[in-house]
Amino acid sequence: MNTRADRAVDAAGTTRAVANEFAKMRRLRAAPSVAVLVTGVVVLSSLAFFGADPAGTLHDPAARPWHRLIEGLALAAALVSPVLLAVLASRQVDIEHRGNGWLFQQTSGLPPGRLCRAKFAATGALVVAATALQSALVAAVGLAAGISVAFPAETWLSYTAALVVINLVLLALHTVLSACVPNQLVGLGVGVLGVFVTVSGSGMPPWLAHLVPPWGYYGLATPVDSVHSGVVDLDPHHLSIAALGVVGGALFLAATRLLDRGEA
Amino acid sequence: MGAVRAEFCKLKRSLSWTVVAVLPLMAVLTGVVNTVVSGPALEQGWHTLWLRTVVFHGLFPLAAGVAVLASLLWRVEHQGGNWNALMGRSTSGFAVAAAKVVVLAVLAAAVQAVLVAGVLVVGKAVFGLPGVLPPRYLLVSAVIVVACLPVAALQSALSMLMRSFAAPVVVAVAGSTAGALVVLIGHGPLTAALPYALLTRATQLGTGVFGDDGTVTAAGVAVLVAVASALTVVVIAGTASLLERRDVH
Repeated sequence: MNTRADRAVDAAGTTRAVANEFAKMRRLRAAPSVAVLVTGVVVLSSLAFFGADPAGTLHDPAARPWHRLIEGLALAAALVSPVLLAVLASRQVDIEHRGNGWLFQQTSGLPPGRLCRAKFAATGALVVAATALQSALVAAVGLAAGISVAFPAETWLSYTAALVVINLVLLALHTVLSACVPNQLVGLGVGVLGVFVTVSGSGMPPWLAHLVPPWGYYGLATPVDSVHSGVVDLDPHHLSIAALGVVGGALFLAATRLLDRGEA
Repeated sequence: MGAVRAEFCKLKRSLSWTVVAVLPLMAVLTGVVNTVVSGPALEQGWHTLWLRTVVFHGLFPLAAGVAVLASLLWRVEHQGGNWNALMGRSTSGFAVAAAKVVVLAVLAAAVQAVLVAGVLVVGKAVFGLPGVLPPRYLLVSAVIVVACLPVAALQSALSMLMRSFAAPVVVAVAGSTAGALVVLIGHGPLTAALPYALLTRATQLGTGVFGDDGTVTAAGVAVLVAVASALTVVVIAGTASLLERRDVH
């Protein structure tokens, strides 16, 4: 049984491991990857919004310009996130496959599963910040474009929170995948193929989108859709997304505990 | 020719075939799912099916796929002592750079062949479309393969310079985003100068979307092919020059 002192030592070790992961990021070009993620989403959201010539709708509450913008954000996030999250996780884990970092870390008291959790904590913090930033920047684009209609804060924030959960689950999946399969082709291939599912997911019926987690959940989180008559509200599946977060987190913990028991 | 054969030998036991087969089949499957499950019917037959498969495929999965293949091709050179073997061999830098692009061109052609075959099969078997795929889409397919060449050459150069497998893929995603932006605003000179934009433009050819007028003219095809060929030669020459003068490891 762990004593309080043991737990304190473990916590200090985990904090140090997460700090080490941030140190590794400096040479892994994590910042440019995150910058591409944020910029890509903001540019594509703006493209989707301005491509529909919104000039006459900016002051018309019935035209719901903010909802059109969030629809663009949903499309852009679904297009860009799967590949770049795969890249982030893959690069952070691949460094251990080179030069047998797993063995080195294990002999330093950090087994592979715990190392994966430290990697997830470090990259996850970046992903949460990037997701919040891209959402805020897209809102800033709307303000800069001159939308004068009331900002739908609740819709915007709940969509951003849902996106954070889905992105974190996808990141956890890629972290475990990259740890188990050293060939980066597999992780990146899954990331590229995931784009097709996320894009299809926006048009899938919800029962089908539920069957392809976590990619199908980008569609389930989308709060609006365009039809011939204009923008209509959808019912985002927040409960399903919360369940995805809980189940994804549990599976990640289980998988990393299994890694802890394996030989490095 | 020996350099090209050597590159194919290096690919023999890789998983490159999964990218070549799965990427276009996923594009076809996406088109089918979008049509069967939620989308409206194929009002314009083969044209609508082509639009729903190839246009999205060209937005950036295709460039990302080419980037993954380029990383795969150069990964072997970055492992163990292979970089020294590459530096020490008698083959010129140009032959090495060109051989990598030739192999990538063959793989890109295979991706497009699988995509066209997939569209044909689902068009007939799933949607029962009359006739076969109009010949102009075969011409567009050939143009897409040619437009893949500058992207392949650029990604090959990036994969040569970066030991990381994933970093060049980030560049491809960023480039494709920029390419989509350039094509959407209809900036001709920038489309010609940016390989990713050129590829996006080629995949929209004859579709009537993203500013395309929906026609496939001999002059339009000739310009795309000429620009893509020129860009490819320039990038290969630059890659060869770097390979001859700089030890990137």
